[in-house]
Amino acid sequence: MTIDQGAAGAAPPSLIPAHTMALVGSVLRGPVTAEITAKEAQRYAQAVGDLNPVYFDEAAARAAGHDGLVAPPTFVQYALVQGRPIEETRTDGLFQGDIPLDLAVQRTMFGGEEWDFLAPVLVGDRITAETRLAALDQKEGSKGPFVRITRETTYRNQAGDVVARTRQIGIAR
Amino acid sequence: MQGSGAARTQPFIEDVAVGQELPVVVRNASRVQLFLYSAATWNPHRIHYDVDYARFEGHPDVIVHGPLQGAWLSQYVTDWAGPRGRILGLSWQNRASALPELDYEFRGRVTAVEGDVVSLDVWEQTPEGAVLMPGQATVRLPNRS
Repeated sequence: MTIDQGAAGAAPPSLIPAHTMALVGSVLRGPVTAEITAKEAQRYAQAVGDLNPVYFDEAAARAAGHDGLVAPPTFVQYALVQGRPIEETRTDGLFQGDIPLDLAVQRTMFGGEEWDFLAPVLVGDRITAETRLAALDQKEGSKGPFVRITRETTYRNQAGDVVARTRQIGIAR
Repeated sequence: MQGSGAARTQPFIEDVAVGQELPVVVRNASRVQLFLYSAATWNPHRIHYDVDYARFEGHPDVIVHGPLQGAWLSQYVTDWAGPRGRILGLSWQNRASALPELDYEFRGRVTAVEGDVVSLDVWEQTPEGAVLMPGQATVRLPNRS
């Protein structure tokens, strides 16, 4: 949670109010739990265009050393998405945020992701996810100041083992 | 469908060397694919299916989901790693938007080999060479013995 404030002179105005910075480290969502189903994991794989047999054929998955059908590595985050009523969407179609981050910015864009895959996620697993606000970093870009928002989600299976972690990066300016 | 028809060969750690380039894979999203990805991920964002709204937000057309390109990158790595390879880590930055019905190339290069773990630079670029999405991956490969 550092704030880059440029090399010299007066610090640029902060885009991060103190009450928002105070949220760093806190839980934004969860814990929520969902079962990994073959139907949902396979629909995701088909929508990506990834027809790896380990997602569709249990014998192929076992031949590859798995204990059963596997879900695509990045699927787990969508298995945890909870349905919401249409009335809760905004003009741009997205659902209203669970906990809006109050920042002095116009818009937030998807900046990328970082994944740690600690163990394959198998069909039938019950996965529990919890998302924390990991960091808010104000940066100086070529188009002016922006805030790099890092949300870290930890995924645990029914045994309590962490199977994956993801850090989703949002760019707010 | 691109990327899924190739024979599934198994690379071994003994066969991998720093500097080695991964085969190029071309992906091209139809509008139907964008719709199915939105549906499969419960993503109602209009910039992926509503051309008028996407233009209102300043895009030339509907745009390909950033995470779909991330999933393509993940598939690029897992396809290369083979059935007995395991993806351990993957990161990527979405620098520029991708559009449907255009070809994008996935490329990669081995940057380190330590024990049975291979580090890769992987990225998505236009055929002209503009990088949309740089990334890094680590995979564990089996031993030949």
